[in-house]
Amino acid sequence: MAEVVLQAQRLAKNYLSGTQQLAVLRGVDLEVAAGESVSIRGESGSGKSTLLNLLAGLDSADTGTLEWGGVADTGTARRAKFLGMVFQSFYLIPELNARANVLMAARIVAVPGAAERARADELLRRVGLAERATHLPSQLSGGERQRVAVARALMNSPRLILADEPTGNLDEHTGDAVIDLLLAVCRETGTALVLVTHNAAHAKKTNRQLFLREGVLH
Amino acid sequence: MPWYLYLALKQLFPSGRKFPFFTAISVLGVALGVALLVVVTSVMGGFGHEIRRMIVDTEGEVQVRASGYLADYRGVIQRIVSVPGVTAATPYATGPVAVVYKQRPAYPLLRGLDLATIDKVANLARFVHGGRLDDLDDDAVILSAQLASSLGAFVGDTLEVYSPLIFEKLKNDEVFLPRELKIVGVLEIGHQQLDSNTLYCTLRAAQDLYGLGPAAHGINVRLKPGVNEDEAVALINAAVPRGVRAHSWQDSFSDFLWVLNLEKGMIFFLLLFVVIVAAFSVTSSLLISVVRKTREIGLLGALGGAPRHVAACFCAQGLFIGVFGTLLGLALGFGALAVRNDIVLAIARVTQRQEVLQRFYQFKQLPAHTSVNEVMLIVGLTIVISTLAGLLPAWRAARLKPVEALRSE
Ligand SMILES: Nc1ncnc2c1ncn2[C@@H]1O[C@H](COP(=O)(O)OP(=O)(O)OP(=O)(O)O)[C@@H](O)[C@H]1O
Ligand SMILES: [Mg+2]
Repeated sequence: MAEVVLQAQRLAKNYLSGTQQLAVLRGVDLEVAAGESVSIRGESGSGKSTLLNLLAGLDSADTGTLEWGGVADTGTARRAKFLGMVFQSFYLIPELNARANVLMAARIVAVPGAAERARADELLRRVGLAERATHLPSQLSGGERQRVAVARALMNSPRLILADEPTGNLDEHTGDAVIDLLLAVCRETGTALVLVTHNAAHAKKTNRQLFLREGVLH
Repeated sequence: MPWYLYLALKQLFPSGRKFPFFTAISVLGVALGVALLVVVTSVMGGFGHEIRRMIVDTEGEVQVRASGYLADYRGVIQRIVSVPGVTAATPYATGPVAVVYKQRPAYPLLRGLDLATIDKVANLARFVHGGRLDDLDDDAVILSAQLASSLGAFVGDTLEVYSPLIFEKLKNDEVFLPRELKIVGVLEIGHQQLDSNTLYCTLRAAQDLYGLGPAAHGINVRLKPGVNEDEAVALINAAVPRGVRAHSWQDSFSDFLWVLNLEKGMIFFLLLFVVIVAAFSVTSSLLISVVRKTREIGLLGALGGAPRHVAACFCAQGLFIGVFGTLLGLALGFGALAVRNDIVLAIARVTQRQEVLQRFYQFKQLPAHTSVNEVMLIVGLTIVISTLAGLLPAWRAARLKPVEALRSE
């Protein structure tokens, strides 16, 4: 049995809107092994993003427990090294060029040295953007921006990548390419992947396909 | 460099060709405030400095006075010159007189100079036009420039001088004849106050006019360069007999200097508001930036950036704007000071107000004297104020929760 990188038990999350309570997650259990890829599908508004934010430690669950690599510490400092995230709308920093955006992930952990710079260049080469390293996000296409974001997510050699509809803003062809790239680099590096997607074809490429329905993973 | 400083710099000066407009405006605002502060405090400092130079040049650093008059001024001078740090001393007699020239009256201050020793204390000779200080004898006077022009008197003319002795003579029913003195020169120091209303004559002539006999009113003392004035005053006071006191020029002009310092302090305080207003615009620009960059701030959280570092990123932008604004402001300020007289002349030429300007400033040239301490104060205050300007945006940024920030549209 492979090592467990992510373990969530009975995660519940309610939102208060006015007087009405909205139970988005009602006890989610999820275990992800090292190197494993898991897809999560579900209707819009079913709580996929909410779940991913809980798993990332960006938001706190009302009840339930969360462990990263068997440790309950899901704080800010540990997040930088333990997991990488990819979002639907890229979230690159517009003032920084592609290389600097990738390096930013390392910079937040420590002042980057030659090794980190080399790794950023290597990752850009891996995602096919070696020639675009000095381009600003505004000079890149959507697919290229998302590839930069993938490289950034991998920068700190995380154990786990959480991707929230990474192809949502891309056309079908580009989306397919990004998903193939994401799955390939995760496989090469032994990084676990939790992929939220609406696309059945993309979901089928993962090791395990889950559905979020009525606040529970199926 | 920690990431938040790196990002702060990058947000102020993004890579690529884009001209950092927001940064330029913010830096310029701060720079203008700093430049104004530097120019105005330097010019105000210049007034003080010039006035000091003129007073010291004409009267020495220290004045020794008795409550009435100094009967034995020679003995006192002997004691004074033996005090360490003193180079020379010269006696003087002074007081108001009435002058009549072609039926035109004036009431200047008479100053009787001891020609034998005056050179060693005050270099008055170089301010004399149309004649020489050496031409002065017991029947001659030198007029200050504005007195000469208001009387319309020229070198070679003769004045009638009446002293307060006239009152005693009249009481005793004696006849008083005014003293006729010939103008042998005009003295112009270059400061309106000092040039306005003074009549220079020999000590003996002044003694006669005031009925002093062999006494004097006081002694002007010149110190070695670099000697502390207050210490010298204390030493001189210990050496002179009772009833005689030494005063530094600052004591003698303390009212004037107090006003000058008050004005300087007020203007400094008011101009500081230029920096404060600039800081407000920095705050509002940074607040806009926080709103505009909400999602990026969320991303920094997702990447593992601590809220206090996100805050530091915005505070640092205020700091950097302060630092660059200060540097630019110092350059602008010192640049303006370097060409200040050209600027004043240009303004005077455009407005045709050279005369008014000269009277207003009291100097023929705009003086400037920059104090290192004041520049340090300006630099320190500006950087502190700019950093404070980043505080509110920083607090707003730190309060953003990554989830909500990422969700915002
Ligand atoms: N901060 C919030 N306050 C109130 N309700 C919220 C909040 N965040 C999310 N919700 C609600 O929780 C539910 C789940 O939202 P979430 O964004 O997780 O859905 P999703 O599955 O990611 O949808 P999509 O596929 O459209 O991205 C939605 O009904 C949403 O309106
Ligand atoms: Mg979503």
